[in-house]
Amino acid sequence: MVDTKYWNPAHETMPRERLEALQLRKLRNLVGWADARVPFHSERLRAAGVTADSLGSLEDIRRIPFMTRDEWMQGQLEAPPYGTMLAAAPEGAIRYHTTSGTTGKTPLRVLDSMKDWEWIAEMWCYGLWGFGVRPADAVFIAFGYATFIGFWGLHYACEKIGALVLPGGAMPTDARVNAIIDSGATVVASTPTYALRMAQEAKTLGIDLANGPVQRLILSGEPAGSIPATKALIEHLWGAKAADTAGMTEVGTIMVFECDRQPGGTHIIEDHYIEEVVDPETDEPVPYGEMGERVVTSFGRGFIPVLRYRTRDFVVKVPHTACDCGRTFDIYEGGLRGRVDDMKLVRGTNVYPRAVEAIVRDHPEIDEFQIRLFTEEGIRDEIEVLIEIPDAAADGSRIVEELGRGLADAHENLRFGVRQVEIGSLPRFELKAKRVLDERIVIGTEGERRQQ
Amino acid sequence: MNNAMGVELTAAEASLVECYERLASTLREQGDDLPPFARRNATKALAALWQVANGLDMEPGQLYDVGA
Repeated sequence: MVDTKYWNPAHETMPRERLEALQLRKLRNLVGWADARVPFHSERLRAAGVTADSLGSLEDIRRIPFMTRDEWMQGQLEAPPYGTMLAAAPEGAIRYHTTSGTTGKTPLRVLDSMKDWEWIAEMWCYGLWGFGVRPADAVFIAFGYATFIGFWGLHYACEKIGALVLPGGAMPTDARVNAIIDSGATVVASTPTYALRMAQEAKTLGIDLANGPVQRLILSGEPAGSIPATKALIEHLWGAKAADTAGMTEVGTIMVFECDRQPGGTHIIEDHYIEEVVDPETDEPVPYGEMGERVVTSFGRGFIPVLRYRTRDFVVKVPHTACDCGRTFDIYEGGLRGRVDDMKLVRGTNVYPRAVEAIVRDHPEIDEFQIRLFTEEGIRDEIEVLIEIPDAAADGSRIVEELGRGLADAHENLRFGVRQVEIGSLPRFELKAKRVLDERIVIGTEGERRQQ
Repeated sequence: MNNAMGVELTAAEASLVECYERLASTLREQGDDLPPFARRNATKALAALWQVANGLDMEPGQLYDVGA
């Protein structure tokens, strides 16, 4: 085998001009396939005057209508259980998965064929190989293997690479930590939150993770993998390098990964996706360096063609030259910055949970926290951050004061309550953390009443 | 053999693409003549070889008609 740091060297180092030619060719194929096989797409494409042959340049992608989660969900309601997006008969599928339920009430259901499932693993291979995972590695996957797609693709990617897979499903945290040490795992895959949780548990068990066998952590499922303070804390506690990745059930796998140069962001796998960044209000493209909403077009899963899907994820795209790894794939600086829907309006100030976490994690004494919003005196929005500090020797009062000041400084002097709470009183998470508790009766400044 | 980007494949790469095309053709034309173990293992191999053909910028098409 050729000794290379790239999974697909020709594609990952392809000059941008040729990469864009490749994307255009694949876009035409995808539009042709969706037009021929999915009435949902063909009706919309024809209404917009788009055919595969009419796509003359990548700019023409903007002629294709956006696709939204609401439309996908509506199709699922009209034609249960799988909806109106399928390009092949359900009998041809070998995998059934769902979204995690983090944002929607009812999860999206997706199907994959054998070829699609191999492709899903293929995308994870870009990330794993790019971060240095090799056949000699033993990869512990701290993940509850169920219908949520999560790390399933990573599992099969490890098999494809030839690494030893250590499946860590259906185990309590202490058993997982012991299994990681006992098995000599060199790589651990988990959410950022759960990486911290396992580190806390190791401390309780008297296990020195930092001097253990783990050399790399593959993080996914939450924006925290690219929050510098959170990532630094994880790397410190584990004595290992941590890479952020991000994926979504709607495409079945990851779209972005952090390479071993750790450039402070994630490379977009641009030979398999077109990732646009648009202003969520105007739908107009935003330039490099400005925050906008991700819109994804995927060339991989043919079972459910995804064309210009509005993700609601905030990102900042920068040129590939921001990293010196040699890839020509552009980068999401800071990974996924959170979701458009995550933003909370508190007394006229925008509050993003990711920004709060970034400040909380500047205080490594805090091992768990929760953001609580509530209504005071029937009308006034209040926000407080509840924190747990397990080290009895730590100066809790000083941390509370500094954190309150730091949060206010970062939010136009918005007053944050900060309260130290009993150890173990806040919820712990294995998959995606839900640290925002919005108990307000009246939301925001518009007087909208919360549904009871 | 050239790929869809006009690049000539190496001998090893071309050999894998030929394997993919041969296997796809066998399953399409003679798949019904194969016992389960042969057909399903060949289908799984085809799904993996599709990734090779796709990664080498060939036009591997879709495989739902052969169960992959």
